[in-house]
Amino acid sequence: MNDLPSPSGSVPILEIRGLRKSYGNVHAVRDVSLSIPRGGIYGFLGPNGAGKTTTLRSIMNIIVPDGGSILFDGQPLTRDRLDLIGYLPEERGLYRKMTCLDQLTFLAQLKSMPKAAAREQGVAWLERLDLHDWKDRKVDALSKGMQQKVQLASTFLFSPDLVILDEPFSGLDPLNVEALRDIIREENARGCTIIFSTHMLAEAEKLCDSICLIEGGEVVLNGRLETVRDHFPQNSIRAAFADGRAIPDDLAGITRCDWDEGAWRLTIEPGSDPQSILDALRAAGPVSLFSARRPSLDEIFLTAVRQRRASAKEVTS
Amino acid sequence: MKMMAIIRREYLERVKSKGFVISTVLIPFLMSLTIVIPMLSADKVDEHHDVAVVDPDGLWTPALELILDERYGGTVDLMPILLSGRPLAEGVEDLRDMVSKEIVDGGIVFDADFIETRRLRFYVKSVAAGLASETLRPAIDSMLRSARFSEAGIPDSLGTYLMTSSRWERLTVSEDGAATARDERAIMGMAFTLIMMLYMMVLMYGQQTLVGVIDEKTSRVVEVMLSSVPSWQLMMGKILGIGGAGLTQILIWTISLSIASTRGIDIAGISIDASVLSPLILVSFLMFFVLGFLLFSALYAGVGALCNSIQEAQPFATPLMMFIIIPMLMLTVVMKQPDAPFAVIMSLIPMFTPILMFMRVIMDTPPLWQIVLSWVLMALTIVVFARGAGKLFRVGILMHGAAPSWKTLIKVLKQPD
Repeated sequence: MNDLPSPSGSVPILEIRGLRKSYGNVHAVRDVSLSIPRGGIYGFLGPNGAGKTTTLRSIMNIIVPDGGSILFDGQPLTRDRLDLIGYLPEERGLYRKMTCLDQLTFLAQLKSMPKAAAREQGVAWLERLDLHDWKDRKVDALSKGMQQKVQLASTFLFSPDLVILDEPFSGLDPLNVEALRDIIREENARGCTIIFSTHMLAEAEKLCDSICLIEGGEVVLNGRLETVRDHFPQNSIRAAFADGRAIPDDLAGITRCDWDEGAWRLTIEPGSDPQSILDALRAAGPVSLFSARRPSLDEIFLTAVRQRRASAKEVTS
Repeated sequence: MKMMAIIRREYLERVKSKGFVISTVLIPFLMSLTIVIPMLSADKVDEHHDVAVVDPDGLWTPALELILDERYGGTVDLMPILLSGRPLAEGVEDLRDMVSKEIVDGGIVFDADFIETRRLRFYVKSVAAGLASETLRPAIDSMLRSARFSEAGIPDSLGTYLMTSSRWERLTVSEDGAATARDERAIMGMAFTLIMMLYMMVLMYGQQTLVGVIDEKTSRVVEVMLSSVPSWQLMMGKILGIGGAGLTQILIWTISLSIASTRGIDIAGISIDASVLSPLILVSFLMFFVLGFLLFSALYAGVGALCNSIQEAQPFATPLMMFIIIPMLMLTVVMKQPDAPFAVIMSLIPMFTPILMFMRVIMDTPPLWQIVLSWVLMALTIVVFARGAGKLFRVGILMHGAAPSWKTLIKVLKQPD
């Protein structure tokens, strides 16, 4: 496991220690410990079935974990402090027979917001999401996209300190993905810490400043995105010759060579120096493109998972 | 405060629905139909009966005719079959023929020397409703008695004097020694009204609670709800909100019925006359009804918490009706000895309380502490059930497909909220 230092300084807004949960023989979460810094956008990443939703549901006290503890702002997360956390579950749903505004008011009241204030904020959020004309319509009458917006509004409406979004992008069209990204950024700028889980790593890369990768119910890696990246060496190079010739087969320090979107992508052998590869390429012909690529989250994730699985095999054999 | 918001939401959603308005109007209408239709059809039934008579002594037909006329005013006509010297068997054959061809509704064959033997044969084609037991038998019995009186030389007036039954006035003595007359029939009527109302409301609104809880899962609101309120508050809010809607409906019916009866409109013989009931009985009625209703709602909520669809819930929901049927079966035992230990214990079991304890209150008011204890036990049970339902609900939502084992369920019920 790649343990990376979490940012020092202030008390993390959320801390999970040794969380465990199994369903029968299935260990959904094995031993998850995390520390989520205040004020950031935190990506909770992993493939389907990695244990993301189980962890998030444990935080929200929807399920009771088998073991471990959860601290909010340095103190045990009690029921009344859940009122400071907004939650958008992966399985979304609203009361269908209620009007949009009543729905928002009701859900905010359940977070201990006074009714009048809840109504006022409800109107403001419906305006912000271009749903003002729909405020007195029943949820039933709304399109699926609109319903998702109403639910999103309910998550942020009561100005929570922390918002947890479980797969918020799933089922959204590109326009709404963009709109959601804006809201996340704006609310974060307001001072709200945001945790969101996704299996779409590219989306996380655009938004997050810290991430946690989870696989098989265990944390694979965890820390600030920059630190995580620095930890993974630049492992590939994009290169091309002006005359379009192929990369020589005998190029030293290269393990793979693929044609990818109009250029060659070279995978570097661990430990070899990109500079010497550039020298070798220039000796072979006129180089028109040479850029060392930073590893994408996808690549980091795949590498980390492979390393973890390899070491797990070593232990068992 | 959060629970209030849930109660309010559940209540308003139901009271504002079209279904509520329709059922509030429609149910009294349908109920009155069930009373009115038999009354209307009863009028149309041919009340007139022809009865053939073979009377070898020739003594009985005129006397019976007289009594029947006196008592039933010509609704039964006797058709004597004259033997005119023929053997009795031929007369009986004629009579059987008339019965089988439905010329008459029945036929009586008196034994010769009926006054001594008391024997007669009654022929019918189908089991004529009430004709024999309600009309002919009492008339013939009384005729036979008079005949025996006069044979013994007892005058008619003495005969009437001897054939008598006692007349009762029931008085209930209260703690302070005052005696008041009570109308048994009105009180028993009230008891059965409560039982019927409870039964009906449990059927209607218990099911609604079940559906409401399952709906929470199918509409997928459940996760948001559970992340905001403890599950037992969600359950309690649902039970009270849906229950409140049910009670509102009953209140509307009661008020309109009492307005109708004070205006002198007698709806199919039902009128609310609370004056026959003591305040204790009235208060008990309300308490047992409200608590009983909520208790059953909580039970239904528990079933709903474990199931993902109405179809899945049905086989579990039906046996809950047993909790109403069992005390109904015990009613006769409790009515005989309302203060026997069996009755006391059974009436303190919360599920049986509404029916059995109320019956005891009506029959022979038990000590106040027992009544209050039964209320407290019911209220506690409601809270315990709502908590349990809440916990089951929390597992229920995360179960997809496979039903949980008993072991899991017990483990879940032991978890903290």
